[in-house]
Formats: sequence, structure tokens, C-alpha cells
Amino acid sequence: MNKLTKTVVIVGGGIAGWLTAGRLAAKHKSNTEQGLKVILIESENIPTVGVGEGTWPTMRSTLIALGIRETDFIRECDASFKQGAKFVKWVDGSEDDFYYHPLVLPQGFGQGDLAAHWLSRQGNEGVSSFSNEVCYQEAICENDLAPKTIRTAEYADVANYAYHLDSGKFAKFLQKHCLEKLGITHIVDDVIGVNSADNGDIATVSTEKNGDISGELFIDCTGFSSLLIGKHYQIPFKSCQDTLFIDSALAVQLPHDDAQADITSHTISTGQEAGWIWDIGLQHRRGIGYVYSSKHSTEEQARAVLAEYVGEKFESLTVKKIPVVSGHREKLWQNNCVAIGLSAGFLEPLEASALVQIELSAQMISEQLPQTRDAMNVIGKRFNEIALYRWGKIINFLKLHYILNKRSEPFWVDNRDPETIPQSLQDLMILWKHRSPADCDFTSNNEVFPAASYQYILYGMGFETDYSNTPYVLNDSDFAEEKFAQNKKLINKAVATLPTNRELINKIKEFGFSRI
Amino acid sequence: MAQLVAIDNKNHLNLKVDVSKAELHGASLHLVPAVVSEFANMAVQYPLVLTKHEETGQLVCAAMLGFEAGENLFWQGEQWQGLYLPLQIRRQPFFVGNADKERDYVICIDSDSPTISQNVGQPIFTENGEETEYFQQAKSCLAQLLQGELENKQLLELLEQMDLLQVMKMEITFSNKQSTTLNGLYTVDEEKLAALSSEQMTILHKAGFLPAIYALIISLGQMHHLIDLKNKMLGC
Repeated sequence: MNKLTKTVVIVGGGIAGWLTAGRLAAKHKSNTEQGLKVILIESENIPTVGVGEGTWPTMRSTLIALGIRETDFIRECDASFKQGAKFVKWVDGSEDDFYYHPLVLPQGFGQGDLAAHWLSRQGNEGVSSFSNEVCYQEAICENDLAPKTIRTAEYADVANYAYHLDSGKFAKFLQKHCLEKLGITHIVDDVIGVNSADNGDIATVSTEKNGDISGELFIDCTGFSSLLIGKHYQIPFKSCQDTLFIDSALAVQLPHDDAQADITSHTISTGQEAGWIWDIGLQHRRGIGYVYSSKHSTEEQARAVLAEYVGEKFESLTVKKIPVVSGHREKLWQNNCVAIGLSAGFLEPLEASALVQIELSAQMISEQLPQTRDAMNVIGKRFNEIALYRWGKIINFLKLHYILNKRSEPFWVDNRDPETIPQSLQDLMILWKHRSPADCDFTSNNEVFPAASYQYILYGMGFETDYSNTPYVLNDSDFAEEKFAQNKKLINKAVATLPTNRELINKIKEFGFSRI
Repeated sequence: MAQLVAIDNKNHLNLKVDVSKAELHGASLHLVPAVVSEFANMAVQYPLVLTKHEETGQLVCAAMLGFEAGENLFWQGEQWQGLYLPLQIRRQPFFVGNADKERDYVICIDSDSPTISQNVGQPIFTENGEETEYFQQAKSCLAQLLQGELENKQLLELLEQMDLLQVMKMEITFSNKQSTTLNGLYTVDEEKLAALSSEQMTILHKAGFLPAIYALIISLGQMHHLIDLKNKMLGC
């Protein structure tokens, strides 16, 4: 029997559940009679993990697809603007050791190899870091400036941006929007059983008070408990802890000293003896956390490292401990069930890959929602291929941040061991010895990080690409001169015209953005 | 910046306003704010556009008088050459002060205004300290502006909600071959207006905004007039 898809059942609230529900309901008109029925079952008794307070620029298109006004989102989710990441002490740990991974591409990217020109000039008088010479965003970040002004339309930008947000508030905000605007059926109940059909599909899930809930597609957003894909289908978990050593996190929330404190416009990620500390500035507080490898540090040592970073207020803060089990399910889609969010997998929060994975999965399922049971096999296979490809690419890119370090602590030394570096990443490193990362290295339609991102990490960390066999790459010096000069001009313009992050947030609260 | 002082019949008993100098306030404005109730009068001479307030980013309605900051092409021979003098100019030198919500509005005067003196022009108070007819007229002008701000807000909210706005992109070459690109201006999207459902159209109709919307559209024809003035000024 080739059953038509009429009802999608999402098990689990939280950001993964509500974001997926919202995208499905918005696309498939759940607030109309002919529309898809989307049921979200959420337990009152299970707290959400609230992981991930950094997004990618993709969040802008996600919010647009959900029909959310940017002003409402920023006002209600304690959100601020994020323009990339600053990596401090990731190379040698010295005081002036930092580099940027901004969100704006290098000038003239794809037209010429500006990286080669920068490499040939680095060390010359007046030539600064790679990210600062090829991109104007580092200067914006260093000055705590916003990526736009109050005159810029909602979701439009002067410099590319993402968000920092309060994940607890964001989950509630999404829930409210979904229930008020998008026509989602909300069941607050505990799922106590999963019931199979003859073909192995999930026929229904049993709830404590609302009986059996049936549907054609079941989405597992149950977080770490992985109720459907893990417990029910027993899909094995593929660990990547031999590549990414982080397995523990200690997190605190540090209120700003005063209501008008500057808000940092990027994630600060600072290398420590056995891991790194994230530092994310929101409107009212900073979120700070130490992710570390328990093989390289005791919890006591880790607390001391975090306390040192936070300063004297540390004693008054509640420290939340979160396990980091790096890896993902071997399959994300099985029969008529797909996992999104922590039930699918988890990685250390480096490069904010958690929320973007949820967005990409929710987008794909809403755009390619299988209309029949036959189609589900086709889409399921495709989903697994794409999702696993992305997991692999993200793991590679995160590992790249670790392999070029020159620090002496065991955590950092162990990270350089070739045994811990995936072969596919080692292959790319062979190519990049003699040319810079380019689009030809990333040819799938499902890439997550562009070649530019790899350039920012490599050349930020002091990697040398050797052009001695291809010196003619530097022939187009007019192109390079023009682009470097253009970048300087853009820096001056941005610094002269952009408001601070705090000033813009204040104006958004008072006036809001226009749609146009 | 205008120096605003609250008016009272003690400090300002002998103050006089030279109405003929009010126009001076508009001598170097290239955009002058406009309210819905004067759109029809303005549309016969000035292009009406929407632009964003420098500080708040909020959309405001304005009549275009020139192509760059400081340029008012309707100001020639030390006189306003337009048929209709916008309320924002006519109200000079009076302003509504930062009233707190509990109390009535406070009328203020721009103490730096070239219109005011102790001897030339219209008095605002009689010898007994009562308001003159002139001052009462000036106050009704301010009331019209206040009411207009509310109407503008309603109009702009409806236009935004119904997604009827578009960016105005225009590159103009003057007769001396110099060209300018108009940035940061918005207008009504005629195609989207035409595609509105009858329910939406009824909302605009009942709110009384259809004349204002068509005035915004039709007034853009005055852009040619403005270019013509510029060309004449350039002497080509």
C-alpha cells in the first residue's frame, strides 16, 4: 500500500522540534484545511538542553521562511549580531596570538588568488594579518560595531552576519510563533512507547494521557535520549572522539556589569590547556563555557581554568556541566523516521555547527517532504547521504582548527598526531601545500563550509602554501593591489559609519527595522 | 539645530514674527517632511518619496526639493518659488515641545529663528497677554502636523504590512553630463498595488488612504520637473 503523507509527528520540543515543525507547517500550509497536519509532542518533564547560542547567517533565511520579523526575534530572544569568530591562543598561546574567521568572503574571492599575494607580502611593513588584509569585517569586530544600521532593512546587511541568542528564549519564541501563526497541533505529554507496523515502520507512538498518536513520518527531536532513532531502531552511534577529543563542557552565564555594556560582535574562542573557552555576548549577559578533554584535564582543573577566565564573579555563578559525546548516528533516516538535532549527533560548539545542522535538515525535509511511502525510501536514502556527507565535512573542518597549532600541552600535541586526522583532511592538506583552498576542492551542492573558511583558518594559523613551482600565480599584481586597497577603503567606511552593536540593539528595541 | 524655548506670555509678550522670513527655514532643504493631508497639494509640484530617518531608521514621507543635501531647487532669488509652501516650513518658528504624556503639548519657539524680533512682524500676544489670531492660526498649523504624523504612521504601517513598498533606483544624468544616483528612497510598488485582493483594497479605501497612495505614485512625474529645474540652474 502506497500511503500518502498526511500527518507528520514530531517527538520533542526544544529548538530542533519547533524549528522543524515551523518549517514544515509554513511550507505545507498547516494553518489551512488542505495543509499537512503537523503534530508536536512535548514532555513537560524533560528539560531542554539549550545547546548552541551561536548561529550561522543561514538563520536569517530560516527566520524569513518561518514568517518571523527580525525585530521581534531580536527583542525577544536576547539576540545580538555575530560576525564570525575570533580564535585567541590557538596557535602558540602567546598574548598576541589571535586570528579571525569572519563571515564576509575575501575580496575578489573566486576572481583571483588573493591568498597567494598576501603570502608573498606577509611580514612586509604595513601588511597585517590575512583576515584583516583581505576582509573588512575583522576591523568591524575589533571595534564592537554592528553589521548594519537602523536604516538597513530587516535581514539585509552591510556586512554578512549571524546571531548570538539565548537558546531557552529562542525555543519559547519559536513555540509561540508556531502555535499562534502556523497551525501546529501541540500535545504536551510523555511518549511511553513506540509501536511498529508490519513493515518495520513506526505506526504510532503511545502517550501517557493522549493515547496512540499516528502519522506517516516521525521526526525524532528527543535530544540526547534519541528515543526513536537510537532506542527504538537501535541505529549505532558513530563516535569521532579519536579525532575530536573534547568530551566535557562547563558553562556559566555572566550578566553584563551594566545594561549598556559593549556587546562583542563575534564569538571569542580562547585556547586553554586542554580545550577552549567560548565567550558569547548577548544583550543582558555573556554565555561562557569551557569545553575540554577529560583525558587531558580533571574537572577540578577545568573549573580553575574557567574561573580564571571569568574572574572574580565566577564564585557567584551556577556552573552547568554538559557531556559532549562527539559523533552521530550511522544513519539519520530509518524507515519512516528521521532524527534532527541532538538525537542525530553532537559535536563541540566550535564553529556553531549545531543549530545550522538543524536548519539544514529541517529545510531539506520541508522542501522534499516525501508525499508517498515509496518516495520516503528515496528521500530517506538521499537524506542519509547528504547528512553523513555534512557530518564528515564538519568534523574535518573542526579538526583543521587543531592540527596547525604549535602549543606544547599534551592536548595540543596529541591533536597534531596524524593518526587522529581523517585521511580526507590529510589529502586536502597535501594539495594546499602548493595552492590555496579553492572552490574546486568543495564541489558538492551540500557543502557546509566554503573554501574561503578554510583559507581563513589555514592562513590565520600561519600555514605556508609554497608557490615556488608556480610563481606566475603572482603575475596579476594589479588585481591584488586593487583588492587590498579596496579592502582598506571598506574598513575606513565601515568604521566611520556603523553604530556599535549596543547602539543598534537599543535602536531596534525602540524603533525596529523596516521591512524594506 | 533649533533652540527651542517654551512660549509664555511673560517672557514672550513683545515677541513678533516676520512671516515672510519663515521660508528661509527651507532655503537649503533637499527633502522636506510631508503629511498625508498635504499630499494632494504637493503632488502637483514636488515628487513625494519615502526615506528613512537618519537616527531612527523609520520611514518618513518627504517632498523632494533637490538632488543632494543642501540643494533646494525651489529656492531662487531668496524666495520660495513653489506654489504650495509645505506645512513644515509654514509652521516656522513654532514647534511642539517634548510634552510628557500626562500633560498637554507645550508650544515652543525656535529662539534662533531669523523670523523673530521685538519690532517687525506679527505679535503672538496682545498687550494683555492673550493669544493673537495669528498665534492661534500657527497653533492650528501645528495641530495639523501632529494629526498628520499619526496618519503618516498608519499609512506607512499599512504599506509595509501589505508589502507595497519598493526601493526607488534612479540614475539621472543632467544636461552638463554629470550624473547622480538616487539612494535610500522608496515608493509604492504599482504592480503590487494592482495585485491586491479586494479585501486589502477595501482596507485601504476605508482607512481613506487611496488618494494619498495615488498621490505618491503620480507625484513621481514631478521628477522631470525637478530635473528641469536643476538643468536650468546649471545653465544648460
